[in-house]
Amino acid sequence: MGSLIDTFHIDIRLLAAQAVNFAIVFLILYFFIFKPLSKVMADRSAKIAKSLADAEEIDRKLAEAENKYKVRLAEAKKEANLILDKVNRQAEENKQAMIIRAKEEIGQIINQEKQKMQVEKAATLKEIKKETAGLVIAAVEKVLGEKMDGKKDGEMIKQMIK
Amino acid sequence: MSANASQITSEHTLYAEPVLTIGGFTATNSFLNSLLVIFIVAIFALFFKSKIKPVPRGLQNGVEAAIESLLDVFDSVTGSREKTLKFFPIIFSFFVFILLNNWLGLLPGVGSIGQIVSEHGEKIFVPLFRGGTADLNTTLALASIGLAASHIFGVIFVGWWRYLNKFINLKALAEIPGKIFKEPTVLIINPIKFFVGLLEIISEIAKLASLSFRLFGNVFAGEVLLASMSAILAFGLPIPFMFLEILVGLIQALIFSMLILTYLTVMTAAEEH
Repeated sequence: MGSLIDTFHIDIRLLAAQAVNFAIVFLILYFFIFKPLSKVMADRSAKIAKSLADAEEIDRKLAEAENKYKVRLAEAKKEANLILDKVNRQAEENKQAMIIRAKEEIGQIINQEKQKMQVEKAATLKEIKKETAGLVIAAVEKVLGEKMDGKKDGEMIKQMIK
Repeated sequence: MSANASQITSEHTLYAEPVLTIGGFTATNSFLNSLLVIFIVAIFALFFKSKIKPVPRGLQNGVEAAIESLLDVFDSVTGSREKTLKFFPIIFSFFVFILLNNWLGLLPGVGSIGQIVSEHGEKIFVPLFRGGTADLNTTLALASIGLAASHIFGVIFVGWWRYLNKFINLKALAEIPGKIFKEPTVLIINPIKFFVGLLEIISEIAKLASLSFRLFGNVFAGEVLLASMSAILAFGLPIPFMFLEILVGLIQALIFSMLILTYLTVMTAAEEH
């Protein structure tokens, strides 16, 4: 052992000094390079991971929103269809009701007109009869050339007309 | 060569030579090189720290890529990212410190700039700088720190009792009375386990020796090789060996740090049966 130390000039102070040298290098590397660098790298990794997670979240939310939008759209369409149906049905009903009422009114008007016509017809007939009587009388008078007395005359005419 | 120059002996010593003495502390040329490494690392670190930004560019990108790929390599040894992140700073420091020391030993001027010292009536050329890891003091210090770290982490990770039982297997001995009637083989197996534990202590010393001598031997041999080649023909001939030594310096730094990482992993692993 002694010869080993002599051969290689092993000196405990030198050995310690070299150990201290290494320790200094270690400390320098640790505090000036490794620690700040690993912090920066870890931060960056965390940031990237967070960004990726955020992106995924955003994608998910977007898909969700789109889904919601589609569902809402479908709902709205359905509602619109319902309303349209209802309106259509109501319109149809209204139409039918109006047609019925119109028909009724038309019927009434026709009836009224018919009655009026009947009355007018009756009046006209009456007048025609009256005028015809006068005409017949005049014609008979002319034919007979003579005038009968009123009473007889009247009876004769009546008989003729019948 | 002049007659004067021929009297100066320049040989590669196994040890680092003292170049100056400050207040009782003798600084060797290898020690000076280590100080140079600290200086370089400090300047780079200060420069780098001011450049660290959330959005990396240029140098920071390179360093981050290097660290990430190293983390992946370490993961394959430790088996978990959590452990890797705990061990990474010290292993990375080993790597940087050894790599720079190895490579600084290759710089032109290191080993060739120096002073002539008279010793025992002989003039000896003493280089001002010598690769930091070409001194056993340095490698021994590094290996001691690495092993000490592995033991400290071992205690932290598995606890005092299990740590102790890796070396002095009291648990195996304590198990004998409880199990002896169910399976009598414990009478043979558990004493063996106990002695295996004692062997572990020796293997720790072996680790220390192998770590320090491997690094020292490789780097020192490289310097001797380069010096020899320069002595044969100083122009051109050392170049391929220079590249070889650059590679060796990198590989040795990697081996040393990976071995420390392995020891850390082994010591922090719960004992399995």
